[in-house]
Amino acid sequence: MTATQDLTTQFRHGVLPQTTSDEFSRQEFVKSLKFHLASKVSLGNHDAYEARAKPAFTKATGAAPETYADIRRAMSEDPYFNFWSAMQRNSQEMMWKSVQIPVERQLPDLIAAAGGAATAAGTLRLNPELEIPKYHRGVDIHCMPGGYHTEFTADDVANGAVYDTAVYIYAMGRMGPLNSDIGDTTIAWIKENHPDFKPRRILDMGCTVGHSTLSYCDAWPEAEVFGIDVGAPVLRYAHARAESMGKTVHFSQQNAEATDFEDGYFDLIVSHILIHETSNAAMRKIMNECNRLLTPGGLVVHAETPPYRDLPAYDAFMLDWDTRNNNEPYWGASHELVPADLAAETGFDPAKAFEAYQPSAFEATERRTKVFQGGDFGGGGAWWLWGVQK
Amino acid sequence: MAEQISLQKKARGERPQYFADPAIDKTLAITLALAGEVAVLRDRIDTIERLAEAGAAPTRAAVDAYKPDAKVRAERDAWRDNYLDTVLRIIHQEREELEKRAADTKPYVAVIEEVLAND
Repeated sequence: MTATQDLTTQFRHGVLPQTTSDEFSRQEFVKSLKFHLASKVSLGNHDAYEARAKPAFTKATGAAPETYADIRRAMSEDPYFNFWSAMQRNSQEMMWKSVQIPVERQLPDLIAAAGGAATAAGTLRLNPELEIPKYHRGVDIHCMPGGYHTEFTADDVANGAVYDTAVYIYAMGRMGPLNSDIGDTTIAWIKENHPDFKPRRILDMGCTVGHSTLSYCDAWPEAEVFGIDVGAPVLRYAHARAESMGKTVHFSQQNAEATDFEDGYFDLIVSHILIHETSNAAMRKIMNECNRLLTPGGLVVHAETPPYRDLPAYDAFMLDWDTRNNNEPYWGASHELVPADLAAETGFDPAKAFEAYQPSAFEATERRTKVFQGGDFGGGGAWWLWGVQK
Repeated sequence: MAEQISLQKKARGERPQYFADPAIDKTLAITLALAGEVAVLRDRIDTIERLAEAGAAPTRAAVDAYKPDAKVRAERDAWRDNYLDTVLRIIHQEREELEKRAADTKPYVAVIEEVLAND
């Protein structure tokens, strides 16, 4: 990957927003607040549960809470939990604000930089007619004002810049200087489990600004790399970012449910934290589309956080916080998916479905909390990968 | 200077209400934002002191352009963590109390298992 001497700051590519010292300090405060909440405040929820919510639930219902839904009911009125939730929600909103301030200040410069970037072999294909799916129009996912697709001006890149900076703060730097941990981790799993696999063409679905996409250029230098997303601002930014880093990617504005690529065009299709931002119907259409797009022997791999069935009920309850508190309406249901069942439903051989845990590729153990909890999805130190081989 | 383009302020979707009185939700949001602005000011003072110590004039331009290196960032991280311990004192008090009460609900056999565990 591109040389990055300092592993504790975000890599400064050609379109990363600049910050004044005050703007940077405001973002650093949000990062500290998030880390403080995750490492020192959130853990108290478990004590509140054991000390009062669980005994109260048991007394009221005659049985101890068993499922994560039971625990949610038990905790719904707990004052410690609700105060932590309120602070956690605020930290998320403060994060977007802290990032919007410098982006608003320099947006014309960012647009000019992105427009002047096209020099290398990568391409950008936008489709202003594309219908933005309902699950992105209903609420702004993870509270990012405007989501991935809203344009605030002509040739807008604002929410690409906002997303790029905010992901670094959200992950508290634990996804690396390029925010590439999910892609790097997925690649590590593929290389360990399919050492002879040599994809000719790779598709990254829901690529946003290309955090994970660019890693595939280095992992398989012979392959052609494609990225699709429904949002024009994130794609313009992704293209400019990739060009400034000398990576060749073909970005296009498409819905992963139905693309314009030919049958069997890809050997490898990947997505990184995409599935939980779709819907039950959409993710099945996406799997059907993967089946159409894959060549025989090809692989589809989706990276997400663990399904609730693999977690103790209390941890699942905490991981589920985002469903109701962070504008992630499909988060909870997507954590109940069963890969083999989905493979069977979408025309794949269920015997070729897989699910696995892969340790995070980026070494940043000192900032990990080692538990999956609300608003700290990168803290667990591993990603859950699932998919199927055609 | 070009006309500023305003980004959307609120994420679409109903905002959860965490307290019986919505004014408490607003007050908490303002308090946390203020805590952030105090940290920003403190960093600015720290920047002025560091520039002065290095013999540079702490002008507005120099302060605005200051980029803390990894060592300074680590010191500021540590400062902010202590600062948040102080600001969030009432939360940490409650947590300490809950921790004691949770320990009392633990069955005695669980304590035996804990002392026998190797990790």
